[in-house]
Amino acid sequence: MFILNPQSGVPIYRQILEQVRRMVASGQLPPGTALPSVRDLALRHTINPMTISRAYSILETEGLLERHRGRPMTVASQSRNHTQLPKRLEQMGPLVEQTVVAAKQLHLSEAELVKAVRREWEQNDD
Amino acid sequence: MTDATVEASNLSKSFGDKQVLQDMSFGVSPGDVIGVLGKNGAGKTTLLELMLGFTPPSAGAVRVFGHDSYSLPGSIKSRVGFVPQQDELLDQLTVADQLRVIASFYPRWDSSLITRLCGEWGVDTNARIKSMSVGERQKLSILLAFGHKPELLILDEPVASLDPIARRQFLEQLLTISADGERSIVFSSHIVSDIERLANRIWILKDGKLDWQGDLDALKESIVRLHIRGLKPELAPFKILGLLNLRRDGAFATAVVRDWTPEAQEALEKSASVQIEVETLGLEEIFVELHR
Amino acid sequence: MKAVARLVWSYFTGTPVLRAFTIGGLTLMAIDFYILATQPQAGEKFWLAMLGIIVFFVGSALMPVMFGRLARSHAAGVLPGGRVKLLISVFVTILLVAIPAGVLAPAGFVSGNISVPEFMKDPRARDYVLQLSAITFTSAVLFAGWMYLAMWFLTSQRNMAGLFKGLLVITLVIFAPAREIRDLTVTLLWNLQQIAVIWIVFGAGFLLWPRFKAARARRSRERFPGFDRALAGNTAGREFDVMLGTANPWMLVAALVLPLLLATRFVREFPAVWIYFLTICSVVTGAFTGQAAERSRALWLRGDWSRPSLFASVERSVWRHNGVVLGVLLLVTVGIGKYARFSPTLLMAGLPLLVLGTLLSTYLGLMITRGLRWLEIVSGVGVMLSLMALAVLVARERVDLAAVIALEIVLVVLAIVARFVARRRWTQIDWMMCRPDRAMTARGA
Repeated sequence: MFILNPQSGVPIYRQILEQVRRMVASGQLPPGTALPSVRDLALRHTINPMTISRAYSILETEGLLERHRGRPMTVASQSRNHTQLPKRLEQMGPLVEQTVVAAKQLHLSEAELVKAVRREWEQNDD
Repeated sequence: MTDATVEASNLSKSFGDKQVLQDMSFGVSPGDVIGVLGKNGAGKTTLLELMLGFTPPSAGAVRVFGHDSYSLPGSIKSRVGFVPQQDELLDQLTVADQLRVIASFYPRWDSSLITRLCGEWGVDTNARIKSMSVGERQKLSILLAFGHKPELLILDEPVASLDPIARRQFLEQLLTISADGERSIVFSSHIVSDIERLANRIWILKDGKLDWQGDLDALKESIVRLHIRGLKPELAPFKILGLLNLRRDGAFATAVVRDWTPEAQEALEKSASVQIEVETLGLEEIFVELHR
Repeated sequence: MKAVARLVWSYFTGTPVLRAFTIGGLTLMAIDFYILATQPQAGEKFWLAMLGIIVFFVGSALMPVMFGRLARSHAAGVLPGGRVKLLISVFVTILLVAIPAGVLAPAGFVSGNISVPEFMKDPRARDYVLQLSAITFTSAVLFAGWMYLAMWFLTSQRNMAGLFKGLLVITLVIFAPAREIRDLTVTLLWNLQQIAVIWIVFGAGFLLWPRFKAARARRSRERFPGFDRALAGNTAGREFDVMLGTANPWMLVAALVLPLLLATRFVREFPAVWIYFLTICSVVTGAFTGQAAERSRALWLRGDWSRPSLFASVERSVWRHNGVVLGVLLLVTVGIGKYARFSPTLLMAGLPLLVLGTLLSTYLGLMITRGLRWLEIVSGVGVMLSLMALAVLVARERVDLAAVIALEIVLVVLAIVARFVARRRWTQIDWMMCRPDRAMTARGA
């Protein structure tokens, strides 16, 4: 489910956070999907379980995940998601910054960039 | 404080006139998996052996489960396991005999666990120890520390001679051991990737002191490499807080800093009117940069 | 050749302690030579030379161990002519150690005569002196070679097999010459023939060893499983002893008694030689205790003992082992006494000597908690020499009982002191300093 790189400069919990957020936002993890348990994930990737449960706790406070007694954690229902718009925008932040910086380096104007984004949006609708 | 597994205060150790460890204070809590990094000769073995009372401290004290480690009582010793850097196997015995001899010292010994691991790790219980390879000896040394299910497990370069598959099996077993969150593991290794997988806390030993003593995640977030663009050539070398390393090349510069925060970055970008891109570093890079 | 010279230099000066011994030995020999050369009738001063030669020999004690390590190392096989140079360095060392004997013996003989210059004018006297020098030199070459071999067995292979081989060699060295001296079969030609044969065999064996090892590795690993199991012994209930290495005294008994039995084929009389060898055996019994401190490291975390109580348990374990061996040795001595027709005085004075040998070496061994340093080496050598002196006194035609008893009492006191020191050291034992090389890695890590 996750692509985790322990040697990355990005801490593992953060890698999980970003991937879960992205997958939930893109619909790859529909509400109600069960996530692997901390222990399963730790053993499968051979990483410390503490970093995984830290990620899961943060996602729980963000409202992305729900904890159930005796059962694995699940993706929270959509209604709770909609209140997280600022968070979702914050999630896009680095990508937006990269795009803008690249555009400026290529001497594109703001209008040209917006046109390119719109084109991509329409193409990606399927 | 009192339910810390290990507690050290102002620990110092010198051999003759050579000071190996200076004024170290640290703690190990239940559930911690601590990776100890350091150059050869930094004092890792000394630190680990001090923790278990093999050698007396020159100053300060270290306590394990509340007891001074130099005079550990038997009740504490049975809750501690140790894998030394040089194995203490008896060459003339077979693996089975060696296991039996060590098992006899502990009231609780999980023989089914050991038998299972011998099978999984490919340790032939009928082999004679003097005919075993270095890797096989190392696996046996590790097993000898597992059998009595210690609550504190200390390992000194336990996988130096193991191939990647054996190392992976060993890591998996350590994970299983620490899964209940009550046991603590402290291990030193040069194989940084293993530490990155397993440890939640890192100790970096440098010049006899603990240069870093904290979460691995926090370490990766603290030490980053800044790629700085737009430097005015006439600008005098500017001051960056927590700078470890700076390399300048005309309008570009690379700076490795510690204790980095987004605020610090913003402040720097404004004050020197530069653009900064942050590169996060893996543990090996961090270790190398700390020693430049 | 430079490599050879460097090797030989490091054999003699490898550690500060051994360097001191080398220099000390050379100094003593130089002093004795001066005395012999300038004072007439000074032949009795030969004991100073003997001491000097012994000290000088001890100074090169590093050679067998270094040779063993270098021979097994990769470098020896890879460097051009590595093994040959190693071999030459050993031969050169033996020659160097034998030269003083070749020079000082005739010097002692000559200076024992009335007037040196006149004596040397006689061509027959010159011939005789040269002959004496050559024989002493070649005999010393043989003796030194065997002694180094024995030392190599004892120090390089730290197990029972090594001990057995070392004692076997010492048997040959002590008993065969005794018979030669009695039968007057020592000649220069015979010595040269022995040297030639031994060195050809040794040299060939050493240079061809890599090939032999490769062939052996292709065969199965476990050749004598039953034997190995017998060596390991039954360990149930004696795990403490197994860890310490004291579980099976019968190994050491075999290693001691078999050479003794072999020696009965060489000589029957010569009580002095027997007592000498038996004393060596009694010392060897306790010498293995030297590893106790190092091996106890693995016991520290495995039982409810403080350092002082660990010493008590170790002492008991050690005597469980050494006591058995000493007991057998004493019985065997009585048997040998009958066979070699010891006088009753000799037996009565000799048995306590053996007990003392084991007692002293046991506690000196337990004193070794920080590797071998000055105190340990000097007391070891000193005790050895005292025991040898006692052996000489005891084996005389007319035993000076007063001197013997006095010396034995001194040695008992020494043993008590050694135990006291050992116990005090163990209460503060620092396992990071136990072995010299471990201590070095400790300082490095």
